[in-house]
Amino acid sequence: MALVKNKQIIQDSWHYLRAEQTPLANTIVSLEYWQQNKQALISNKQSFGLKVSGDVPVESFSEALKHASLIAVEFPVFSDGRGYSLAKTLRDKYQFTKEIRAIGDVLPDQAFYLSRVGFDSLELKSELSAKLAIEKLADFSVYYQKDSVSQ
Amino acid sequence: MYLYNELDQTLINERVEQYRDQTKRFLNGELTDEQFRPLRLMNGLYIQTHAPMLRINIPYGLLSSKQLRMLAQVSRQYDKDYVHFTTRQNVQFNWPALEEVPDILADLASVQMHSIQSSGSCIRNITSDPLAGVCADEVEDPRPYCEIIRQWSTLHPEFSYLPRKFKIAISGSPQDRAVTQVHDIGLHMKKDVEGNIGFEVLVGGGLGRTPVIGQTIADFIAEADILSYLDAILRTYNRYGRRDNKYKARIKILVRETGLDTFKAQVDAEWKDSKGGELSLDKAEIQRVKAFFVAPNYNVSDDTKLNSDLENSGAFRQWFNQNTREHKQTGYRVVSLSLKSPHRPPGDVTYDQLQLIANLADQYNLGQARSTHDQNLAFTDVRTEDLFSLWQQLNEHQLATANIGTITDMICCPGLDFCSLANASSIDIAQGITETFTDSAIETGSLKLKMSGCMNGCGHHSIGEIGILGVDKKGEQWYQLTLGGSDTHETKLGERLGRAIAKKDVISTVNDIVNTYKLHRNDEEKFATTFKRIGIQPFKDKVYGTR
Repeated sequence: MALVKNKQIIQDSWHYLRAEQTPLANTIVSLEYWQQNKQALISNKQSFGLKVSGDVPVESFSEALKHASLIAVEFPVFSDGRGYSLAKTLRDKYQFTKEIRAIGDVLPDQAFYLSRVGFDSLELKSELSAKLAIEKLADFSVYYQKDSVSQ
Repeated sequence: MYLYNELDQTLINERVEQYRDQTKRFLNGELTDEQFRPLRLMNGLYIQTHAPMLRINIPYGLLSSKQLRMLAQVSRQYDKDYVHFTTRQNVQFNWPALEEVPDILADLASVQMHSIQSSGSCIRNITSDPLAGVCADEVEDPRPYCEIIRQWSTLHPEFSYLPRKFKIAISGSPQDRAVTQVHDIGLHMKKDVEGNIGFEVLVGGGLGRTPVIGQTIADFIAEADILSYLDAILRTYNRYGRRDNKYKARIKILVRETGLDTFKAQVDAEWKDSKGGELSLDKAEIQRVKAFFVAPNYNVSDDTKLNSDLENSGAFRQWFNQNTREHKQTGYRVVSLSLKSPHRPPGDVTYDQLQLIANLADQYNLGQARSTHDQNLAFTDVRTEDLFSLWQQLNEHQLATANIGTITDMICCPGLDFCSLANASSIDIAQGITETFTDSAIETGSLKLKMSGCMNGCGHHSIGEIGILGVDKKGEQWYQLTLGGSDTHETKLGERLGRAIAKKDVISTVNDIVNTYKLHRNDEEKFATTFKRIGIQPFKDKVYGTR
């Protein structure tokens, strides 16, 4: 895995919650975990992230948005475009300004569109893919659509 | 016609280079077939039976003579000296080499053409009325709005991995000549009581395996709000459209399964937040684009020369009656260039013909031509005094077959000869129909025959007055016929005639259908009217009673 943020490969300061673990700071938890441990996560006052699949309606986790520091949107296959609308909705409608990360089946050729709908970090399969993704972020110097609000 | 500015040109140039790199990485083995597939499809490249097929967009059917010459040149340099016009006003090359496609695209980019989103699960070419701007019954010229929507949808970051392809058509006239009712979104331009421009929005139409007529989701969306409304529909579709089964992934299935009212409520909920926001169209932007489509300075002239030409030549008269139409300006006519001659498959045009058409466009039609959804071309601004000499030159090059709107002016997909999806051939059936009906086509009258080589329905068979669908039965080619469909503003799906017909009997069956119509028609009655009056039974009796 390699993480791209701000057009660079960076060390990931987040980690995913493993089974039977109690979340420490910078832990990304599942939607299910969030739903079962809302109070603990909020009162804990430690930063946490939430991992959701691209097909989940925002309404089912909108309550987490004011507490979570990161939303990781999972692409089950790269051709499933629901995650794009999810990110765009988080930025535009819910005004979510913190990190939105693309995870799962994320390909370098998608980096440009992903960044344009509001993703600010991309988890790629390898360092090679991550380097290519950074190149691909510069594919276009112009475009017709306006930017997502956060950018 | 819209002309690119620096931004438009930079964008397509950068797209060519992006695709060049993607092709290179695919050929190097750095991209798998599966990863390259959506990338090449979003650039119009299919892998077909014999070779790749490259589809180039003709935005809402407008072409300049310069673009026509470039299409000719590409067909000579990279292909086999011909191109094929499609039912969505686009053009296809049937024999390009995969590794040469980036060079083809670079050549096309030099004349402001591209293949962006001509295929793939994204928003396709915006299509429209080929008579836009010149027909007398127009509420408003749809072309500026087509261009605005084209730009908004091009390389759209959010809507490029939709559940399935997405087609939008716009009509500016009550007479729908853009088959808007069988598009994912159909837009009808209208004016409210105060004269403000807007759109009636239809959603969920489509052909293919499950043909559906679109339904009205909004009676009037003001021009300022059209992009935010489209955005709301697309987002709703992108989020809720089915992805488990590609045959159920079009928006028509979502609308049907959700119900129009619920779907509309979902769209409205989405729109409530975005209406009036960044996608609002301001008057200045609309005016900027409209400036590209102002009517030319028409010359005031009368039809004196035309009238004497008509008197002097019967063949010219026949062509004039069949292949030209009224123009809003007296002294001008709209001319159809028939791509349905007996000499080649429907929609095909050769290198030489393209060159000629480009020259004639410069000479007689303000340097422009248009493609139509029924796979013909049109010159929309021809002075009536020029018609005779235009006809002579078209005639010499097999572009003046006097058959527009008749049975031999059929829509036909490439079928088994080219397409890897097809179950049956269509080009040879088309040839048979042409041979059988050429002499009687005009006398038979207006009759729309549409044929597809498989149930994906690229040949629009479901809305043909006579529809022919190729099916596979245990490795043999059979044909399912439907009757009474319509592609007009009252779009209708045809009724099934009965059991499928063997390939060898298709032509004689069509002949039986035509003869049954002729037997029952009153005077000049059109096929559609006769069919409505007598129903399908007499046709069934004739076709199956004798077999």
